[in-house]
Amino acid sequence: MPRRERAHLEEAIGSGPLGGHHERPDARAKVSGSTRYVADLTVPGMLHAAVAVAPVASARVAGLDLAAARAVEGVEAVITAADIPGKNLVGVIFEDQPLLAGERVRMVGERLALVAARTPEAAWAAAHLVRAELEPLPAVHDPVQALAPDAPHVHDAGNLIRTFRVVRGDTARTRAGVVVEAEYRVGGQEHAYLEPQGCLAIPEGRQRITIVASCQCPFYVQQAVATVLGLPLAAVRVEQAPTGGGFGGKEDYPSEPAACAAVLAFATGRAVRFVLPRELDMQVSSKRHAMVIRHRWGADRNGRLRFAEVKTVLDAGAYIGISTVVAERANVSSIGPYHVPAVRVTTRVAYTNNLFGGAFRGFGAPQVTWAAEATMDRLARACALDPLEFRRRNLLDDRRRRICTGQSLRRPVLVRECLDRAAALAGWDEFHAGPRRQDGPKREGMGIGLALYGCNLHHGGQHLDRSSAVVILQPDGSVVVRVGLTEMGQGNLAACQTIAAQSLGVDPAQVQVWQPDTTTVGDSGPTVASRGAHASGMAILNAVGRLRKKLDPLAAELLGCNERDVELAGGFASVRGEPGRCVPIARLASEMASRRIEGISTGWYRSRPRRFDAATGVGDPYEFYAVACHVARVTVDADLGLVRVAEVSAAHDVGRVIHRDALEGQVQGGVVQGIGWGTSEELRLDRGRLVNPSFTDYIIPTAADVPTIRIAIVESEGLGGPFGAKGIGEPSLIPTAAAVRNAVVEALGVEIDRLPLTPPTVVAALGDKHPFAWVVEEEKLRGRTEEVAAGR
Amino acid sequence: MPERVTVDLTLNGANRTFEVAPGRRLLDLLREDAGLTGTKEGCGAGECGACVVLLDGAPVTSCLVLAASADGHEVVTVEGLQRSSSLHPFQEALVAHGGVQCGFCTPGLAVTGAAALARGPSDADERARLLAGNLCRCTGYLKVLEALERTPSEEADHASP
Amino acid sequence: MDVPVQQVIRPTTVAEALAVLAAQPDARPIAGGTDLMVQLRDGRRRVSCLVDLGNLGLAGIRQLDDGVEIGAATKMDSIAADGGVRRHFPALAAAAGTVGAWPIQCRATLGGNLVNASPAADTAPALLVAGAWLTVVSTAGTRRLGVEEFFVGPARSALMPGELLVSVFLPLTRIPLGCRLVERFVKTGPRREQAISVVSLAGRAVVRADGGLEAVRLALGSVAPTPVRARRVEAVVTGRRPDAVARREAVQALGHDIAPIDDVRATASYRRIAAAVLLDRFLQEASRA
Repeated sequence: MPRRERAHLEEAIGSGPLGGHHERPDARAKVSGSTRYVADLTVPGMLHAAVAVAPVASARVAGLDLAAARAVEGVEAVITAADIPGKNLVGVIFEDQPLLAGERVRMVGERLALVAARTPEAAWAAAHLVRAELEPLPAVHDPVQALAPDAPHVHDAGNLIRTFRVVRGDTARTRAGVVVEAEYRVGGQEHAYLEPQGCLAIPEGRQRITIVASCQCPFYVQQAVATVLGLPLAAVRVEQAPTGGGFGGKEDYPSEPAACAAVLAFATGRAVRFVLPRELDMQVSSKRHAMVIRHRWGADRNGRLRFAEVKTVLDAGAYIGISTVVAERANVSSIGPYHVPAVRVTTRVAYTNNLFGGAFRGFGAPQVTWAAEATMDRLARACALDPLEFRRRNLLDDRRRRICTGQSLRRPVLVRECLDRAAALAGWDEFHAGPRRQDGPKREGMGIGLALYGCNLHHGGQHLDRSSAVVILQPDGSVVVRVGLTEMGQGNLAACQTIAAQSLGVDPAQVQVWQPDTTTVGDSGPTVASRGAHASGMAILNAVGRLRKKLDPLAAELLGCNERDVELAGGFASVRGEPGRCVPIARLASEMASRRIEGISTGWYRSRPRRFDAATGVGDPYEFYAVACHVARVTVDADLGLVRVAEVSAAHDVGRVIHRDALEGQVQGGVVQGIGWGTSEELRLDRGRLVNPSFTDYIIPTAADVPTIRIAIVESEGLGGPFGAKGIGEPSLIPTAAAVRNAVVEALGVEIDRLPLTPPTVVAALGDKHPFAWVVEEEKLRGRTEEVAAGR
Repeated sequence: MPERVTVDLTLNGANRTFEVAPGRRLLDLLREDAGLTGTKEGCGAGECGACVVLLDGAPVTSCLVLAASADGHEVVTVEGLQRSSSLHPFQEALVAHGGVQCGFCTPGLAVTGAAALARGPSDADERARLLAGNLCRCTGYLKVLEALERTPSEEADHASP
Repeated sequence: MDVPVQQVIRPTTVAEALAVLAAQPDARPIAGGTDLMVQLRDGRRRVSCLVDLGNLGLAGIRQLDDGVEIGAATKMDSIAADGGVRRHFPALAAAAGTVGAWPIQCRATLGGNLVNASPAADTAPALLVAGAWLTVVSTAGTRRLGVEEFFVGPARSALMPGELLVSVFLPLTRIPLGCRLVERFVKTGPRREQAISVVSLAGRAVVRADGGLEAVRLALGSVAPTPVRARRVEAVVTGRRPDAVARREAVQALGHDIAPIDDVRATASYRRIAAAVLLDRFLQEASRA
């Protein structure tokens, strides 16, 4: 950053809205019900889309009979693969995924045909009347089995998609007095955003099209639609609609309904709206990857880690999507913020005929963190050390700051700080000093989850890590801001508003941030990897810097001072050191307008290049890191297997707080979502079909399930993001389930190596220790006796 | 041929008449026929609470109510919580306490919360129980519960819809 | 999206409703609709005509000399809040307060919960231990049946075509001198609120001064094709103090009274264990209270 811009930045901090809790700019409209999401938008003559999908996970499509579908009153079009004007391909990175099935079905919910009709009732009735002749083919439903030589192939080239590694030192030759081995089966997760997937496609003849989409990346949608329609990118305009939650589930998936709606719009010449019913959304949209993680870790008898071997298999489902990118993050996050001399991590991505794995808050890190923290506790117990002390002996710090890839963390390294703050908030020492509540079957425990999060995009995603902004100073001094990063509830609008207001020295209410639109800003990549505030903020600061090149000379002229001495704060431009000599920014703006000086400026940001070897995992996978520590206190009704999280104490290394309420809201939301993943959210599959695709049986936390949450925010000077801010979207969830698992294990005295910790899983883990385990044994005996009696 | 039904109801304080298909849900009457899109559909199965409206003052999931069943009754949606141009005190509290993130659950939550306040004083456990039918995936509920706790009660009484 | 029905009739008298039900075999009554609307939407039930019971005056709770009469269209939140029900039939009040969540309770009716006849119906165990009587009417007349006869199979009640459930009567029982009544309803599910029960249990015990169980009635949900009375358990514990030996025998007997299955919500093994825990806890509470 040029010296002059940094100087401007530094003077801007100290007063202004940064770090405050002013009203979020979108809150009032949302609370009054006036914000319009996709399903609230109508265009005259609009049609409704529906999709016919395959009910089985693996089959050859022998034929499709569309006659009954076409005959439904109100149907205007029924589309199959042959009718796609451009390429029958969807999928952000790889070309393994058709929009509409050709000859193969590879997952339950594979799209067979699209329908557009005058009412949604007619569209879905027609979709259900599409008759597919399907010849079942062998399927594979376990990712480890999928990698066996005799497994049925999901795609021709075999089921191993990619392997990632991190190798440092020689784990085979490293001796350790205490060795722990474990296999962890970590379940996936459904995003359960309250607003289902949806979009509206508005064609202009067959030349151009506008898509209004509930999404995290309008640019991915733009690319997908251009591909299926065979149009140049500039002919596809995508506007992000106010989006009712994403969590990663609307990173790449929205390209699919958008491409469907676009094809239908071009086929009919009418606007088409496509909103997924909840059950279909749950079955077909992307999911957190289920993983099988095998550990062999060793420590010496003083409790110092000596080596760590991790073998992970990701269940990608039938199409790659962005599974390789998830695997990259999981790969380098497998060890945690610990110093380990020898490391061997192997992360493999496998095709199966299960659910479509994709982005979900944490992006592979929660799964490997769950495993790593479980093993850390196992080792602690094996070394007869308190889990807190065991971590203290091994964590990275300002002195020892190389992570498993060899990258040196920037100082200050705040692992110890976050660990200690969270433990103190939780009352770790007091809890473990006194006698624990053993009130009949109610057991209490406390557990730690500690994670090191690589901020923004992995090295492999560098080509996406750029961001565009536009700032337009209005003649009355109010400001329009456009960015490419999206608001999905996390507070990006508030962050952009705050950063723009802070740097321009105006009240946030003067700044209006409008929805991202691919015709107003350059491709800024996806709003993922907790990069929203970072990427938008940096681009906004760049745009404001360029705007000031016009503004400052004018201010200097009006104030009679040197350009270098112009300060913007509190709605005024003033002379540095002489606050009395000032002029309202609104006056500057109107003067600029009347002199016809350009009041619009663009901003650009891109991350700095760095080196990383994907084959060995050596180098700098991320530019900088944030630490997150959660300590959970749980009460377990051991007899029923019910886990109640009573408290979570969270310490977060955030660099700089941009908006306090938004930050707290992210931590609270992340903790609760992490608790749901860890204890009640289970994706139950029957040969690839989701058996519980509804809120009735996919159990997410309600208001009655919320623990006390205490938050410690650790700020520090750093060269991270705007004003030094790091991300919070994902660190707020990554360590939670690990902390809960470790607390439950402490409470019960048995290891639990499958997630989620549902009541049946907890009861099964207790085995014979359960006071009524004999009931099941008796039932088995009775069953066998009856069989014998019946002569079977 | 489905026999259309006439639905006469009081909607946000005004008498309205609609003629709809027999299978029409109250949710769709509100969103499509009355143009009140504030009430949302999150699941269509009565499980998420995004579609909650007041039916004779009680919160109900409008996706499970036939429009025909609302005939002769009083319905209040999120749009009707307001008094002229001011928000209901609970809506103000949600904004002030940071209880709004993506906003999709918010209208249903605002209606349930307003009904909870009209019901009378409650403790923390009761408030959580009353809101448990409104799922939220963004906030983790804490700021929402805080907003409900801190909504000034006299204002809430006067503003009961 | 509209549910696929052709006709909705809104009668203003019971006679009118019965006439429609008699004349149109594929007409089905709808009250709160919290189960039926979901089934219609999913295509699990196909009904061409719905008969709205909202205007028939079938809601209301009446305190009588010998018991409490609850109109079939009475909503769950009214039942949960009613002073008489809370005092005399606390298991039913508790159960009504666990159906779905508050907005569902403001719509769902007692009659609907019974007629839907899910093995997991929350109010059923409480009505079973109360020995409730159901009044059913049709154009052919009125009949009364005990709640135990009402559940015939999963999602199948004893209602004949053209019949309408109009009220539920819970008889007050006289508690012998020196005894006290302990009545509970517990439900275990995957989370605190808004959960379909994995196992539910209602228990009603008349406890003597010496701690012995003068009489006991137990019923469970979600552990058999219908809600069930645990008669073998009752036989084992009646007359005894529920000490550890008696409770173990009770749990053993329970194994013969229930027949849980694996389903999307839980495994049969887990249900057996959870049922045992709930039974044991109720018996312990009965001895302590």
